[in-house]
Amino acid sequence: MTMHITRNAGGLGGVARAGAIASPFRPVAPLAAAGFAGLLALALTLLPRPSLGAISGVAGPTFSLTARAGYVSTGEGGSIHVWGLANGAGLMQYPGPTLLVSVGDVVTITLDNELPVNVSLVFPGQEGVTALGGVPGALTNEVEPAGAPVTYQFTALRPGTFQYHDGSDPQLGIEMGMVGALIVRPAHAGWAYDHADSAYDREVLFLETEMDPLIHELVETQRIADVDFTKYRPTYWFLNGRTAPDTMVAAGAQWLPAQPYSCMPMIHPGEKLLLRIVPAGRDLHPFHTHGQHMRIIAQDGRLLESAPGSGADRSFLWFTTTVTPGGTDDALFTWTGDRLGWDVYGHQPGDPLAPGELAADHGKPFPVVLPDPKDTEAGPFYPGSPFLGMSGYRQPVFGTTPNPEAGYYFMWHSHKEYEMVNNDVFPGGMMTMLVVEHPDVPIMEM
Amino acid sequence: MNAIIRHSGALFAVLAVALTAGPARATITQQCPLDTDGLDTDGDGNAADDVVCKHMIASDGFVNMADGKLLYVFGFSEILPGEALDMAVMEHTLGAEEPAPTMAFREGQRVYLTVSNAGFMIRPDLFDPHSIHWHGFPNAAPIFDGMPDSTLTVKMDASQPYYYEPIDPGTYMYHCHVEATEHIQMGMVGQLYVRPKQNLLPPGTPLGSFVHRAGQKYAYNDGDGSTRYDIEVPLQLDSMDPDFHDASEGVQPLPFALMDDRYFLINGRGYPDTARRGPIPNGYDGNFSQKIDSQVRARRGQRVLLRLSNLSVTKYFTISIQGIPMHVIGQDAKILRGPSGLDLSYDTNSVMLGAGESADVILDTTGLVPGTYFLYVTNLNFLSNDAEDTGGMMTEVVILG
Repeated sequence: MTMHITRNAGGLGGVARAGAIASPFRPVAPLAAAGFAGLLALALTLLPRPSLGAISGVAGPTFSLTARAGYVSTGEGGSIHVWGLANGAGLMQYPGPTLLVSVGDVVTITLDNELPVNVSLVFPGQEGVTALGGVPGALTNEVEPAGAPVTYQFTALRPGTFQYHDGSDPQLGIEMGMVGALIVRPAHAGWAYDHADSAYDREVLFLETEMDPLIHELVETQRIADVDFTKYRPTYWFLNGRTAPDTMVAAGAQWLPAQPYSCMPMIHPGEKLLLRIVPAGRDLHPFHTHGQHMRIIAQDGRLLESAPGSGADRSFLWFTTTVTPGGTDDALFTWTGDRLGWDVYGHQPGDPLAPGELAADHGKPFPVVLPDPKDTEAGPFYPGSPFLGMSGYRQPVFGTTPNPEAGYYFMWHSHKEYEMVNNDVFPGGMMTMLVVEHPDVPIMEM
Repeated sequence: MNAIIRHSGALFAVLAVALTAGPARATITQQCPLDTDGLDTDGDGNAADDVVCKHMIASDGFVNMADGKLLYVFGFSEILPGEALDMAVMEHTLGAEEPAPTMAFREGQRVYLTVSNAGFMIRPDLFDPHSIHWHGFPNAAPIFDGMPDSTLTVKMDASQPYYYEPIDPGTYMYHCHVEATEHIQMGMVGQLYVRPKQNLLPPGTPLGSFVHRAGQKYAYNDGDGSTRYDIEVPLQLDSMDPDFHDASEGVQPLPFALMDDRYFLINGRGYPDTARRGPIPNGYDGNFSQKIDSQVRARRGQRVLLRLSNLSVTKYFTISIQGIPMHVIGQDAKILRGPSGLDLSYDTNSVMLGAGESADVILDTTGLVPGTYFLYVTNLNFLSNDAEDTGGMMTEVVILG
């Protein structure tokens, strides 16, 4: 496990609440002791600061990638032969390394090839890409099997979210795994674009792909000539190269050596989460965010602005987001739990506000009487109480809860629900959870 | 009688369970408090009528596709006020409706929704709990979100309360979220929308250069009358795979990987049943399981609001109307405006909806030649009822002179 804590509520708050993670079942009124520190933490969250929740990837601007065969695991225990991209001499991975560069960088990518077919890379949305070495192909220079490498170069002219993929036989190459995300950061830390409307506290990548395992079987058994895309029928759907429930396993998990990227955003109430949505396969996926709408602020690396500098004034709200394959969207998501007519923290009227809590529902009682526990089934992430950060009596269905901090778990998933399946086994596929943790609970970046 | 013979095994199993089970413990209940807070939250001038209580009960049942095929479904029906709760399971067994009864609320109301579970008559081997997911409810909390992994879901012969304060008008949808791929494919879907407070303005109130008149209705609190409509038509798009439903009815392994929908539906029916007025009884036990027709009828000059939603589990649908332009004013229960108020509404001839997406479309019938127009899916292969080539996702828009 490479799970590590990258955020402790800005120092003071973290000190005040160091006990919060020690006990799996915390006392229910931590804020009474932490009221002042909570206000300080709130003030700190309002100050400009760099993002602390970050996307895993390889920092540029110079990269060395190798096309290489290997295997990925699927959530129901399957194993699929893929052609991925390794970072230098590292393990093949799926998707390819997320390339992290800054605007103005001269980005250089050298590609080697250990596969039995020609490969190359194209960078949709980048201008003036040059290719040196290899052999000429239809779209760009290609690397022959065990041939001389190709070096691609371009200047990252604009910030945004982009993708890259195989350019020699994209239909087969992308299906087989040669695809990845490219993130160009602007000069201003904590912004996605050159405007404050793109400011965020944390960010997460959603690289969406699908696979038809029969094609991979044919490739694995050296029958590439028998691959017939007219019979294409995917039965696996991936987020950042993993199917659920592996999407929710920590990044870099040892038992997923070829799939280093997780896809499980975690936020505190009121924080801005930037979603970089990269549909890198061939199908449309209606991606539903339980909990709240997301605001689409940019498409294909361009802020949705009516005029230069106007900010994201053409942004809009969706509760289910379809991004066209080959394109990208950037969206902001915030959840506060206000305006529900009851207090999600379970406060009494005289209690202090939680950091970021809006006052409208403060102290309002829970509106219904929950049924006898025997009349309902409790899910594994139900902490035994409807309140955020408050564990209570829990039915002993799963033994210990995987949610001892009583965070709110919201499923984020393709609403083409047959994509929430791993080759006939439900649940799985294109699905993960957003976790909203109580402001007292330090977030462990996955 | 055929139906009883067809499922005599299942009925016997139910009987066996009934005879061997201990005394009934769980019961159907409903929490519906009086509105005594003295506040007029829905803004209609009456401080004692803001609480709305709804009661949906999950069960199985049958519906007929337009080609006559009888499909086994899961679904909801509504326990109406005054019904005896101790008889509800018996009364609503095999009561599933396609789509589920529509829920329409007003902004500012306080909604106590009860979800009960009558079990499956045809599948007594299943003990599935159920939930209702108010799809798109803003700032939801898990306890009332229906997503089984992080909340409670109701077991058979029991009831669970949900609470909502709908404050954002728009077109939502609802469905069971337990074993979502299966339960939604099997039909546990319904329409849900929220009407804005702007409908209650006193006559003569100016909205910019527009003046509100008595009885005028709006899709959103637009402030300028731009979402005004005369007739509201909710149209839920869906599709079903008969092989999946037959496998469920026959207690067979469910074909998730092979799922391939072949019935394409508006409000639970394929054409020509979409344009057939009134409820349709099924061919199994005569239950009126398809209550919502979708023929649009308007007088020339009226503005029609289409509340479109898609709850298929496999398909995108693109909807068009021959001869009538569409003006899209809202998506996913939000008025199409930027954060600074920039108008993002647009005219089009086609609206594409993915599963779990909704759109609000205004049809302005001014100047149309009276007659029958067709609203249809432009994915033309979906204009079919399985092998029957003419039908599927289509309905009629009748413009009267």
